[in-house]
Amino acid sequence: MSSSVPPVSAPRSTTAAGLSAPARARRGRRHGRTVDRRIALAIPAGALLLALAVWPLVQLGSMSLHAVSAATLNSTWDFVGTDNYTAMLREPDFGQVVVNTLAFVLIVTVIGMVGGFMVAVAVLSSTRGGTFLLGLMVFVWALPPVVNGSIWKFLLADQGLVNQILRALGGQGLGFLYDSDFALWSVALVNAWAVVPFNARVLRAALLGVDTQVLEAAELDGARPWKRVWHVLMPAGRTAATVLTILTIVYAFRSFDFIYVMTSGGPGTASTTLPFLAYSEAFLTLDYGRGAATALIALAVVVVLALIYSRDVRRTEGEA
Amino acid sequence: MIRRRREPIAFSFRSVLYVLYGLPLLWIVLTSLKSQGEVLSSQASIVFHPTLEAYRAAIADSALGAAVRQSAIGTTVMCLAFATPAAYALARTRSAIVVPALTLLVVLQMVPQTANLIPLFWLLSKWGLLDTTFGLVLADATMFLPWAILLLRPFFGQIPTAIEEAARVDGASTIRTFTSVALPLARNGMLTVSSVIFLVSWGEFLYGITFMLSPEKYPLSSLIAVQAGAYGADWPAMMAFAVVSAVPVLVVYVASLRLLSSGLTMGAVK
Repeated sequence: MSSSVPPVSAPRSTTAAGLSAPARARRGRRHGRTVDRRIALAIPAGALLLALAVWPLVQLGSMSLHAVSAATLNSTWDFVGTDNYTAMLREPDFGQVVVNTLAFVLIVTVIGMVGGFMVAVAVLSSTRGGTFLLGLMVFVWALPPVVNGSIWKFLLADQGLVNQILRALGGQGLGFLYDSDFALWSVALVNAWAVVPFNARVLRAALLGVDTQVLEAAELDGARPWKRVWHVLMPAGRTAATVLTILTIVYAFRSFDFIYVMTSGGPGTASTTLPFLAYSEAFLTLDYGRGAATALIALAVVVVLALIYSRDVRRTEGEA
Repeated sequence: MIRRRREPIAFSFRSVLYVLYGLPLLWIVLTSLKSQGEVLSSQASIVFHPTLEAYRAAIADSALGAAVRQSAIGTTVMCLAFATPAAYALARTRSAIVVPALTLLVVLQMVPQTANLIPLFWLLSKWGLLDTTFGLVLADATMFLPWAILLLRPFFGQIPTAIEEAARVDGASTIRTFTSVALPLARNGMLTVSSVIFLVSWGEFLYGITFMLSPEKYPLSSLIAVQAGAYGADWPAMMAFAVVSAVPVLVVYVASLRLLSSGLTMGAVK
């Protein structure tokens, strides 16, 4: 645990009260209390974020209430109220996309977390083989998602390696990426494959905090390996796992790169999720207003998750 | 010590992992050395005439230079330039706005890229920055900025305040204390976060294909994405691109292995 939670609470406790008298005197006094000038160093970043991250999101909200097409993008937009939203909800595929999104997030999160934990346990002992394996996996994770996506698009193609192995074993080839029964699963599994190394490393860092004496004691008491995992390692990784689960959910929900590269959301909308739908409405159908409405729904989901996450982080900070 | 012994389950599980993560890597290298005809006839062949044709084409492509310029230099430098003072400020002050600011950063870090993409396209087009490297770097750097600040903040928090106090007592200004005392002490953090930002901007492709209107200006990742999306992809060429694009990742990864292993997990869970 300790290794994954650095002492972030430290800076907060070291402020005005902790400074020596001359240092405090150097600060300007306004409105009867001391003002820490150092906060001014955050102004450039704050300005940039307001201009290019917050302001665009306000515009996104505005776009979602206007009719914005490729022709009117750079002129004035006609106000249409909630038309974009009702049109979005009436879209026959919309329900399908919501279900896809939920299924996608569920597959990636469950496999990402369970797989991550299994890998963390498997490479826990610092043998050379374990370290190398984790290093290899994390390297794969660090590769551009488009590279990983195209590798799997290649391997899962009709004449790809996976299908050739299936045929060699006497089975028949599967349309992993163009059969509507498999497309969503294929992309979600590859996404989970890509996130497992990262989760494994975070969880391994948490598990390394477990006192080896506790494990030895459990072993001496006759606990089988899986019992030791269940009763000793699992509880130890719980705090890190909670935060990591939220991060994995957000990662899965935001996922765009793999879908774009591997299936482009198809066949039809079989592997389209909400953020991808927003993209295709705006940049393929060129209906920016509708895309903005969909993106705003996706944004709302993420904001809720982000608030849960920051509350959770603050709580762990309090414990640390 | 726990006695070391062969655990058959762990051993076979590790073997499966080697296949799952090692084989795809091996396969792109093999495929990049084949000719298009050989790939079309049988993807699974292991015996073939290796050719460097795909690499010659990949290296001659101008996208490689564009990708290095845009991600490596532009985005990382710009992002760090803005993130560092902000991370220091948020680590050191106890102002009432620190907690709301951190919460806002967490939210911004998680915003789906497509949500920013739509209004940014309009904004950059209004400012005449579409199809310019500057516009793309600006968009990329802003996208990674919240993450960079959150990753960097703990590194400043770890510096003992006594050192900075001493500097202040000696008469150093706020800026001077930051640049001459805090910055050198947070060098490891800056290196860690630089390599992380380099890796993610190297892999970023959606802003690339949207804000760059002419494909010859696409960064490498965008080029791979577009090629992968096309029907009848030229697999050896694409895999050569993939291998070439993996080289900087490998270099940064190996160079910063020790830094990353502590720094990244720290930023992630915090």
